[in-house]
Amino acid sequence: MLNTRDLVLAALFAAIIVALGLVPKIELGFFPVPITAQSLGVMLAGVILGGKRAAIAVLIVLLLVLIGLPVLAGGRGGLAVFAGPTAGFLLGWLPAAYLTGLASESLVDPATSDMKQLMSFFLASVLGCILVLYGCGIVYLSIAAKMGFVAAFKSSMIFIPVDVVKAFIAALAGRAVLAGYPLLPRSKA
Amino acid sequence: MKSLYVEGHSRLHRLPARLKLFVLAILGVGIFLTDDLLVLVAFGAVAVLIFASIGLPLRAALAMLRPVFITILIVAIFSLAFNPWQEALMTLLRLTTLMVFAAAVTATTKVTDFIDEITRLAYPLEKIGLLRASDVGLAIGLVIRFVPDILTRYEAIRDAHTARGLRLRPLSLLVPLIILTLKDADNVASAIDARRIRRHAVTKNKEEN
Repeated sequence: MLNTRDLVLAALFAAIIVALGLVPKIELGFFPVPITAQSLGVMLAGVILGGKRAAIAVLIVLLLVLIGLPVLAGGRGGLAVFAGPTAGFLLGWLPAAYLTGLASESLVDPATSDMKQLMSFFLASVLGCILVLYGCGIVYLSIAAKMGFVAAFKSSMIFIPVDVVKAFIAALAGRAVLAGYPLLPRSKA
Repeated sequence: MKSLYVEGHSRLHRLPARLKLFVLAILGVGIFLTDDLLVLVAFGAVAVLIFASIGLPLRAALAMLRPVFITILIVAIFSLAFNPWQEALMTLLRLTTLMVFAAAVTATTKVTDFIDEITRLAYPLEKIGLLRASDVGLAIGLVIRFVPDILTRYEAIRDAHTARGLRLRPLSLLVPLIILTLKDADNVASAIDARRIRRHAVTKNKEEN
């Protein structure tokens, strides 16, 4: 069973994800569009906490949405969010955070160079929070809105560039937190 | 944090949370089983009537449904672009009905009632040793307790940037925010265990360490 420290870490990270939905959008300087920090928070959970705790953190956020707290960016929340056609992008956070975390655990080695760690974190974020998340979101959208896979795919593509930038920020932050306050478990593979 | 629950005494308010969630689940499956436009229109009308029965003033009701309308609008445009109009209309009706009814359940069910239902649903998971059902309430409580702290900390870090004439960068904001917040974890965990709030888990922890 889960020990208390892991539960608290997951809950604190859930609180960070919620808080990131409440702060104003962050300007990046080199990128034209300001970013919503909340989905960045899901990537960060994976790269910082590892798979299991990141999945629990996201599960807690989803429970808060379910019970009617307006914790999603823009004050959204409640059961209606899950009934909507874009619910796949929300439910997809769970496998996305878990896989980003698992990939980080097995790819990132604190003994290797900064550059190598950075690339590993970036790969983990792209794998979990872009490939898997968009997979879930697009499949769900195409079924729920009956728009066909190709159409759902095309309409989701405009968000990809922003998320690649986010994956890069997550990688930088993941490395910085690993250096300052390491929490990421190492998989023994 | 203010919940989306709306104070009131309508019939929907008085129904047990479990029944409302059960009906929502049934509706979620059932509405995809019919292809009859008239039946779907009827369902949609009933959902709107139910939402109206909560007794919200029109303006507050519209504000509450606004996110619903935005999603529906976007889907309507895409759906129309790729499907014949009858099919697009059916998709629209289904999604609108579900979202309006779901919003009605959220507006009439207290957060504590939801937590009770989820905790009850988690008992089977406790039986197979996955989690403690009471952890659900504990975790939700922790988040609600810590979100204001994190926002205060965020503002402090932002002010520290401004005071030094630094531009706000995601990294220089996020990294200290995350490290400072997660460093609380040990203290909070010790406090929880010291009070024996998760009784079984304490002995388990000792074995693990």
